[in-house]
Amino acid sequence: MSGSSALPLPGGTAELESLLGSFLARQPWAQAELGASARRGLTTELVDLALLSAGRPGLASVVVGANGSRFHVVLGWRSVTEMAGTPVGPGSVVAAGADVVGEVVLYDALEDDELSLELLSVATAGRESARRCRVVHSLASHASLIYDERLFMKCYRVIEPRPRPEIEMMIALDRVGFNHLLAPVGHWARGSGDLALVREFLPGAVEGKALALTSLRDLLARAVTGEDPPPFGTIGLAGGDLGDELRRLGQTTAEMHLALAEAFGLGQSPGAPRIRLHGDYHLRRVMRFESGWLVAGFGDDPLVSDEAGSASLGAEKRGHCLEDVADLFVSLAQVAAEAVSLQPPSTLSHSRQLASGWVAHNSGAFLNGYLTSAGIESLVAMERSEAVSFLLETVPARVAGLGLDFLAQ
Amino acid sequence: MSQQLLFGNDDPRWYERAVFYELAPRSFYDANGDGIGDLEGIRAKLDYLEWLGVDCLWLLPYYPSPLRDGGYDVSDFMTIAPELGRVEDLASLLEEAHRRHIRIISDLVMNHTSDQHPWFADSRSSRGAARADWYIWADDDQGFSQVRIIFVDAEPSNWTYEPGRGQYFFHRFFHHQPDLNYANPEVVEAMLEVVRFWLDLGLDGFRLDAVAYLAKEEGTSCENLPGTHALLKQIRREVDKNYSGRLLLAEVNQWPSDVVEYFGEGDECHMAFHFPLMPRMFMAIRREQRFPITEILAQTPALPEGCQWGIFLRNHDELTLEMVTDDERDYMYSEYARDPRMRRNLGIRRRLATLVENDRRVAELLHSLLLSLPGAPVLYYGDELLMGDNVYLGDRDSVRTPMQWTPDRNGGFSTADFAALVLPPIMDPVHGFQAVNVEAQERDPSSFLHWLRKMIRVRRQYPVLSSGELTVLPADNPSVIAYLRDGPEGPTVLCVNNLSRFAQPVVLSLAAHEGAHPVELLGRVPFPPITSDPYLMTLPPYGSFWFELRQVPA
Repeated sequence: MSGSSALPLPGGTAELESLLGSFLARQPWAQAELGASARRGLTTELVDLALLSAGRPGLASVVVGANGSRFHVVLGWRSVTEMAGTPVGPGSVVAAGADVVGEVVLYDALEDDELSLELLSVATAGRESARRCRVVHSLASHASLIYDERLFMKCYRVIEPRPRPEIEMMIALDRVGFNHLLAPVGHWARGSGDLALVREFLPGAVEGKALALTSLRDLLARAVTGEDPPPFGTIGLAGGDLGDELRRLGQTTAEMHLALAEAFGLGQSPGAPRIRLHGDYHLRRVMRFESGWLVAGFGDDPLVSDEAGSASLGAEKRGHCLEDVADLFVSLAQVAAEAVSLQPPSTLSHSRQLASGWVAHNSGAFLNGYLTSAGIESLVAMERSEAVSFLLETVPARVAGLGLDFLAQ
Repeated sequence: MSQQLLFGNDDPRWYERAVFYELAPRSFYDANGDGIGDLEGIRAKLDYLEWLGVDCLWLLPYYPSPLRDGGYDVSDFMTIAPELGRVEDLASLLEEAHRRHIRIISDLVMNHTSDQHPWFADSRSSRGAARADWYIWADDDQGFSQVRIIFVDAEPSNWTYEPGRGQYFFHRFFHHQPDLNYANPEVVEAMLEVVRFWLDLGLDGFRLDAVAYLAKEEGTSCENLPGTHALLKQIRREVDKNYSGRLLLAEVNQWPSDVVEYFGEGDECHMAFHFPLMPRMFMAIRREQRFPITEILAQTPALPEGCQWGIFLRNHDELTLEMVTDDERDYMYSEYARDPRMRRNLGIRRRLATLVENDRRVAELLHSLLLSLPGAPVLYYGDELLMGDNVYLGDRDSVRTPMQWTPDRNGGFSTADFAALVLPPIMDPVHGFQAVNVEAQERDPSSFLHWLRKMIRVRRQYPVLSSGELTVLPADNPSVIAYLRDGPEGPTVLCVNNLSRFAQPVVLSLAAHEGAHPVELLGRVPFPPITSDPYLMTLPPYGSFWFELRQVPA
């Protein structure tokens, strides 16, 4: 740990801990992590401090413990006059301080383009640089930064125990040659934990949920405009059909499972192999780009807001590969329900009928792609009819549990 | 008078920026009142074509033919079918067209002849005939077993027995179209003579029909073979040596990675059609998402210097679905050809207007894409009016009905009796000539015809739309396809298209053009300047915008 004396704060460590306590108490992302304990006041402790750039502007990485959690703050500082040229807002200011030259302001450096560019070099050990940076704001446990529309940094705000499953899986899959990924480019970690992950960024990619909503929009519009609905079982003949895309996603998912089995090994339980699962597989974790599908995330997805996904991946999860498939089917139902909720009440019944057919059609298309992928039979280890039975036992109950009874067929 | 003097524009790479217009001479305009369109009829309509703004006409085959395949069964390469005119009429047409800076290319059917061609008559007569080896003969029908059958609806085999020789002859297409044997140097020389004959007359080039199949090699699919490329290079050398500025445009219905071989290293064909793009434009609109288009663009290799793609929405053939997956073909049939009469072989025999259910917004969107994606656009006669089709006519005649010039008798196509017409004109209440014709749309400044004419003019003002680099922009909304065309030719153009039937928002990342002022090109409307922030736009249903990114000095 570099000494806190390197910072422009005369009060040293104690002053830094105090200031960071006040700062964290104002940050929504810290409040989300701390929950009710934040209201009882924060007890902070400096865990790690790395001076990344001395002088002005200055840059440091600080890990601070607070009420049992650990937070990562990328701290920057500039003179008061320099601050006028930055987009840093009042909510991001940590403190005003002083050094030998004069008054300075300390703040969240992720708000400062110049310092964010410097951070990229730090996180990739000097291998990467960029000319532009933009922040994709997120209320999750990290901040997301995009560099030159080419690289993408997930800078963690909440430090979790290592190995962080997301990083572990991303790197392991990359090593075994699974290339339907936003490939990792740099991983920044210190003894205190994982601080950032840099991956390639595919600007033309669109998350699976957006494609699903596009398909549903076309289908459900038939209810609004009074067009004849396609007969049940022929949803795939509707204009915005997603079946072909879901079949390809099924193939990509099968490849992911085979890669996970190779990377993390197989566990045997009575009846079927158990693999390391994605564990949180849904339509916002996958993205369609120009050449097919990719798996964009394994934890909090950096490009989407907190409420988008299900719970973040907390720990390693092993099980039968169809559990991930079931997750995706539940996700299809969730998206269908969201699309139905946008329809006018007068067409609700008709919309629900169409949405139900849409879920069944696209689940089937996905499963066809999945089960016909080369090699996946070794992991599925059951007949197609058994696989379908398993999913019919699992998915409708979970969908109904979400209050989406009309889709639980 | 030399062609160069007639033109005043002797850029040998004219085709890179050209707008092509494909027409069927028999169906375009009948000047002599016999019910069949003719070359003199085309000459009579050059004013219209000049007004529309097209740069090059592509004429379907005008050679003598028994017409069992729309003229692609040629019975004499060295003259004109008598019902279309004489060689002198073509010379006259070329001279008039060139005076208007319009070029003309024609089909050259190299792969095969009609079985009525004298070459084949001689070849089939006996194994000892002078041209016995000008075609491909075998004692049985087992050879070339890996060659696919193209016309699956009509032909059970690629071999047909000929009693005169007691042998089978090979035909890639119909059994009355025997394939020429290019392993025989006499055949190569005979075809070169054909090339020289028409280019000497002043023709500006050829659309090379079915060019992927010329060479044959046992044990292969007989497609894209090295021998085919060697032959094309030989023809190109002849063109470069004696006929600079003339065009070789290849019809190769293959994937772009295979088609690109037909450009060689800039020493084979000048242009080739991009077949897989076309069905995917229709698919993208029905699916309301850009990936069918962007995926095929991502698979499209860069071209050698001096080469260009030919891109199109519809042509004289069916909307071919050879270059799509089985699932995609099923989808296209269900979306665009529910009536089995609309289907033919692996395709859909319908015109643009009926494919898009006469939705002018979709027709405009498709043409906006056609005129702004990489390649030289090829329009099909009548589509500028949104003419309809007639699926009750046989084969591909459904899309080759007479051009609709006026609301008068026979749509102004001919003064002949209706019964004498080459094909019946469209007369249904929606697409019939009473409602859809040139005269009416010329008078109506808000017609599709006027809109398209204006778009062609705008395209001409921005050379990057012809030959600039394409950069597909990231867009958060999958229903929007946005791209830049830029290069040293002129100002950068931004194209934004909404593939959905509903209004759509889109956020574009244009920070690399920070400070530029987008100016919409049809109305010259200035839009808010681009900043480092994401650029938000709202697009109407099937909306399409072209912007010049104007750099304003600081």
